[in-house]
Amino acid sequence: MNKYFYIAVILLGVIAAGCGAGKDNPGLAYMPDMFYSVAYETYAPAASRLKEVGAHYDGMPVAGTVSRQDDLAFHFDLKHDSAGYAQSASLKNPLDTAGATIDMKEAERLYLVNCGICHGAALDGNGPLFKGGDGPYSAAPKNFKDADMIAMAPGTMFYSITYGKGQMGSYASQLTPKQRWEVVAYIKSKTAAAAPAASAPADSTATK
Amino acid sequence: MRFMDNHKYLFHQLPLLIIALFFSVAPVFAQGDANVNEGKTLFVGKCQSCHSGDMKSNSTGPALGGVQGRWEDKEKLHEWIRNNTKLIASGYPKAVEVSKISATAMTTFPDLTDPQIDAILSYIDAKASGKLDAPKGDAVAAGGVEASASQNNIMYGVVSFILALVALVLIYVNFNLQRAAREAEHVKTAPSLPVYRNKTYLAIAAIALFIIGGYFTTKGMINVNRQINYQPVQPIFYSHKVHAGINQINCLYCHGNAWESKTAAIPSVNVCMNCHKTIQKYNGPELKDRHGNVVDGTREIQKLYEYAGFDPTNAEGWDPSKAKPIEWIKIHNLPDHVYFNHSQHVRVGNVQCQTCHGDITGMDEVYQFSELSMGWCVNCHRQTKVNFNVDSTSGNKFYSIYEKFHNDIKAGKMDSVTVKDIGGLECQKCHY
Repeated sequence: MNKYFYIAVILLGVIAAGCGAGKDNPGLAYMPDMFYSVAYETYAPAASRLKEVGAHYDGMPVAGTVSRQDDLAFHFDLKHDSAGYAQSASLKNPLDTAGATIDMKEAERLYLVNCGICHGAALDGNGPLFKGGDGPYSAAPKNFKDADMIAMAPGTMFYSITYGKGQMGSYASQLTPKQRWEVVAYIKSKTAAAAPAASAPADSTATK
Repeated sequence: MRFMDNHKYLFHQLPLLIIALFFSVAPVFAQGDANVNEGKTLFVGKCQSCHSGDMKSNSTGPALGGVQGRWEDKEKLHEWIRNNTKLIASGYPKAVEVSKISATAMTTFPDLTDPQIDAILSYIDAKASGKLDAPKGDAVAAGGVEASASQNNIMYGVVSFILALVALVLIYVNFNLQRAAREAEHVKTAPSLPVYRNKTYLAIAAIALFIIGGYFTTKGMINVNRQINYQPVQPIFYSHKVHAGINQINCLYCHGNAWESKTAAIPSVNVCMNCHKTIQKYNGPELKDRHGNVVDGTREIQKLYEYAGFDPTNAEGWDPSKAKPIEWIKIHNLPDHVYFNHSQHVRVGNVQCQTCHGDITGMDEVYQFSELSMGWCVNCHRQTKVNFNVDSTSGNKFYSIYEKFHNDIKAGKMDSVTVKDIGGLECQKCHY
């Protein structure tokens, strides 16, 4: 028995343990050419690698690129100015006219994920970020059960979701045009139900 | 002479004693409390998105510490957890009282079985009483085995220790008696060698070293490529605890692509600015980084403005197209030869984010919670049941094509279908 054998075994163990990830380092990769993708994967540092070889890359799609899922029915070309805002009121929800049924469960999910945080799960403009003024978000979000919001044309809502309005940012990067129309339809279906019975909004505030 | 010998023998026995002790105590650390562990998995997956993980503070739902004491009737508590709407509708006074705690109605969990609920409740009790809080050590301890200081395990350890001691004393006595007998019969015995030259001890030591050294070497080699606990310093001190925990922003608000595609999106700067155009100062609880240094939240928001090119004094003049991307450091890295799809798990499989990413709503700085090893994937595929209720609204209609399984379930041959049964262990599902 050779003492060098023991020392080698212990050292190997220590070294191998050191290859694992720590708090600050991701550790070593065994066969890095199988671990790191040669192709440009999403969120891999492609830009720096492309710059090294002198290729042009700015992370943006080529001008005029059309999404594979883009549907001509949802084509929207109003400009982001006051004229465009005025014209938006005449936009019709393509989901209504296409005879397609709107998946309200999905629309509700989209609303709760993207809008509910400010506008409230009950559409009362009192989401967790605002919390009646106690939340971190100081601007009061629109209450969809207010008369002016009930009266707002669906096209105008679509326009505001696309470009943003006031403190609200654009949701064009988070919602596809179809999803935006679904959310509008969801809001309208909820507020339309509340509109005829004037007591409905009062009820929702009474339970608070 | 006899006295001297005894001492020598005792000295000879020492390595044996140490080895025996090692083996008698080792299993204590390997065994956790299975029931509490199951409860923890369920709690993190199903409850913790609303109920605080420390069991002491209120979140979307109330703090759950001591919940069993607050409900007189255990049956009713089970009913509440499974379907609270029904219990409220039945007019049970405690349910009506609890329903008024929060404006948000609790999710129903009709699939939970009684043992599962008991496991969750026992985890809640254990967590609330502080039994599970391992002493906060440094980096190594955080990822190490959770020392479950359960009474049973201590008893088990003490008993093993006493038994090992008794066994050693008996061996020692037996050895001496044999020697005495031999001496009485004048049989010659070999002179005893010092420990370091005695081949038996050397062999035992070599084997022990081989096993222990081999264990650590193998463990180390297995961990190559695995990045559990990886927690890089990000360009901005972005606290998931503040955003997803305290302010209850849905995970999918920023990571919406987890629903749609393979990759869970890292939000672009405009998504941050949706809120931070308005929220320009941090007024929440004090933030601390991993070293305990206080972090100025408002300064971190200003870092965001530098990336976004946003001037708070001239908010209207902001041009989002001039924003620069924040180069967040990717934490979860899968090898190139593994295919993983978020939407398949989040949307189709209904897996909660927390199941793989841990208690994100409690993390100021995100670290990799799961091993992301193949064994970890496969284990989950073996255990996870697929929602085969294709007739209900919750089930996925796609599964209606598995006719044989539906027939078997109807015939009572099987009670549930796991991911494994529908091909979750096939190599090509993830490697191609």
